[in-house]
Amino acid sequence: MLPSSLKEFAGHFTDYTELRVQENRNTQITLLNGDVTNNTKSSSSGISARVYHQGLWGFSSSPEWSSDSVKAVLKSAVHNAEFMASRGQGRGFSFELKSANKRLDLTTKKPRLTQKELIDFCKILDDYILKTYPGLQSRSVVLANLDMEKRLLTSFGSESYSMIPRANIFIRLSTEGSDGPCELYNFCGGLGQFEDIFSTPEAIYPEIDKLHEHLMNKKQGVYAQAGEQTVVLDSDLAGILAHEAIGHTTEADIVLGGSVAAEMLHKQVSSPLVTLVDFAHSYEGKTLPVPVYMDDEGTSAEDTVIIENGILKSFMHNKESAQHFGHKGTGHARAYQFSDEPLIRMRNTAILPGTSKLEQMIASVEDGYYLVKPSNGQADSTSEFMFGVPLGYQIKNGKLGKAIKDTTISGVAFDVLKTIDMISDKMSWGNAGMCGKKQIIPVGMGGPAIKCKLNIGGR
Amino acid sequence: MQAKDIAQYALKALMDGGADKAKCVLVSSEKNELNLEADNINLLRTTFNSELNLKVIKDQCIGKISINKTSTDFINQAVKDVLEMAEASQPDDAHDIAPMQNPEEFNDGVDTPDLDKMYQRLEEFQAQTKKRYPTVLLEGSIIDYTRTSAYTLNSNGVDFCETKGNYNFMAMFTAKEDGNVSSFNYDSIALKNLDSSLIETGQFDTLLRQSSEQTVLKPLAGKFVGDVIATPSAFASFLGSYLGYLRDYYMISGASVFKGKVGEKIAHDFLSVSSNPTSDQLADRCFVTSDGFRVKDIKIIDDGILNTYLVSQYGGNKTKLKNLPNDANRLFIAAGNKSLEDMIKSIKKGLLLCRFSGGRPSGNGEFSGVAKNSYYIEDGKIQFPVQEVMVSGNLVDGFRNIVDISKERNESGRSFIPWVQVSGWTVSGK
Repeated sequence: MLPSSLKEFAGHFTDYTELRVQENRNTQITLLNGDVTNNTKSSSSGISARVYHQGLWGFSSSPEWSSDSVKAVLKSAVHNAEFMASRGQGRGFSFELKSANKRLDLTTKKPRLTQKELIDFCKILDDYILKTYPGLQSRSVVLANLDMEKRLLTSFGSESYSMIPRANIFIRLSTEGSDGPCELYNFCGGLGQFEDIFSTPEAIYPEIDKLHEHLMNKKQGVYAQAGEQTVVLDSDLAGILAHEAIGHTTEADIVLGGSVAAEMLHKQVSSPLVTLVDFAHSYEGKTLPVPVYMDDEGTSAEDTVIIENGILKSFMHNKESAQHFGHKGTGHARAYQFSDEPLIRMRNTAILPGTSKLEQMIASVEDGYYLVKPSNGQADSTSEFMFGVPLGYQIKNGKLGKAIKDTTISGVAFDVLKTIDMISDKMSWGNAGMCGKKQIIPVGMGGPAIKCKLNIGGR
Repeated sequence: MQAKDIAQYALKALMDGGADKAKCVLVSSEKNELNLEADNINLLRTTFNSELNLKVIKDQCIGKISINKTSTDFINQAVKDVLEMAEASQPDDAHDIAPMQNPEEFNDGVDTPDLDKMYQRLEEFQAQTKKRYPTVLLEGSIIDYTRTSAYTLNSNGVDFCETKGNYNFMAMFTAKEDGNVSSFNYDSIALKNLDSSLIETGQFDTLLRQSSEQTVLKPLAGKFVGDVIATPSAFASFLGSYLGYLRDYYMISGASVFKGKVGEKIAHDFLSVSSNPTSDQLADRCFVTSDGFRVKDIKIIDDGILNTYLVSQYGGNKTKLKNLPNDANRLFIAAGNKSLEDMIKSIKKGLLLCRFSGGRPSGNGEFSGVAKNSYYIEDGKIQFPVQEVMVSGNLVDGFRNIVDISKERNESGRSFIPWVQVSGWTVSGK
């Protein structure tokens, strides 16, 4: 249980200060071929302070949040900031300091399930897979829950409390293919605690059936033809494209570090069909996978339109970079652990839907690929991206063909976006992703299906 | 209570609470970290933590819990919770803890950080980079000193204390010239001390130079099957995936491509891979495994022959395979006889793969990804840095088709990895 207020420490603030108390709680259960190989809970909590002094930062943290510990952490952060000021020259920014007070508590109102009930839930899923698909080489069921609870107080009067949970179930199936093991995985879940997301194991059976069907198709899969291809990226891939390829290159710290986007502000960077937004917390009245109402610098979070009708409109900022560029801060500074400093991070990044139907998009491709699921991805300062693709299908004469083996796609995002000529009218959101950038952090990404040209790896 | 008393208190509470077997690891850590962001040294970060990890086996059911509080109230609650978790689980005879071993204490590295020296070395790195490679922007650089003290105790009488301190440095950078931008690149290293300029350690100087050459790239037309020289960074990423097929998930699930291959040739004769966590050549050594065994250095692949799987104690019990006291986290690849220069000279048409950005290889070893910061080689010479080139192939075949291994190796403080030349991989342009 976090302390109910940090206000008693405000009198100890000297310079610009952020004081944050936070607890991350994880639960993970793994069943591998029916055996419980992992049954783990963890909790990591503590207090941190970040102080800005003469344009330079000092940070300190401790796992204890007693009154003495909080004061010691504040003192240590000041000491660190003074050390920095004694050695270097700060940039002397003065931040926009607009205070606000936000609260978001997504703790379930339902009775919490016991660890036994969670294990039994996984066991029922495993039993279903074993009974329905006995020919598999292996199967695993992983349950992963994360609760992030934070309280923030800043020297300019911003206060926030948030408890943002996510719960996911990952299913991984493997079969013996003609040239070795062939595997596929999928996940379901999202924002909320387990009790609010998963009702019964039976509700997940259709997802397992679909996964198995794709696996059997992939078992007979063919290599993709290496080289530039016309593809239809389904929404999960469009989401990772928005996040990795465009999102990262427009984070202001990456821009200052040399991103190609630095020279492109207010220029045409994509097809006019494309509008790409990093949403703070909601879209069309619905709460998004990673709702952020106030960031960890005490800035109220607002939507950031990155690309509007093909024009690059803005970057994503923390307080310091917003000052540097003379832009308005929209609340992108987030930290993963209590002991982490806030970094510029995306929240819920998506290309907005268009007007085409997915079926029309596939029908318009003479020879290409329909790519369904991403695995890992990586971006670059050049906007060149790479995503693993564990599930996809050939498109031949406008119709879906054979499944393809695991492959990788790549391209220069600002070139690929210019080739988009169709965007589907339906979008979906994913909430299992962790973004890595010094620290990991949960992110949401989504989108419609898009049709474009990019490079595909293969034979 | 002192750290060891806390660990002993927790272990006793687990056994008193009804555990059949229990393990307790208390890790206390302190980190001092200087950050450079966008060419500006702008943050000093100090963090303290104490992580208490409890594992309990009751009626062959397992529970694990981790907290970062050490007061008796928190420990008592964690003990109660983890025992309930074990009671909620399913029995599996393969769960166990490490057997009794002689108690030992390990002390390694530097006791206290030299913060002034850290600042001075980081500032010097920034200045030397600007002087040598003026088009390079330092996107982010971090130098830290981390000290950890870990007590590992279990109910079989295991009693280890491992205390170590070392410096770590990483830099990420991009070059920008006339509006053209290179791909980012990075390197990282663990250091015993700060006696040398950071730019002279690891591959920093080479990679910074390469970035400064890579603002203007050329595409490759079509595709070819040829020789690829993977730099230590690129080869380390392939090796990590390759060795993954020897670890728990693939071995327990039965999906490993190396099932039943111990004692057999799985790679070219040139390849010998060891894991030597206790080597005094390393800046960041390990003495106790995650299962609570005293580390022994091992040969994983010897002249192309597979010596052992890399299963944990649980994985070993589950599969009836031998598990060795080594987490395979400090890898040494034996150096070859040829220089990198001669390896390049030997190639008619190929690629110097400097950084590999790829999808997770599939279970049968198939992989593909982008050749970042890489160069086209023709007629024995590096020709130009390439743009939008992909590499694909099969790891299992690739390790059989090693053509040469360089006599030079990159020393990262955690590994010794050479340049490795492989034939038969597909290189494709636009």
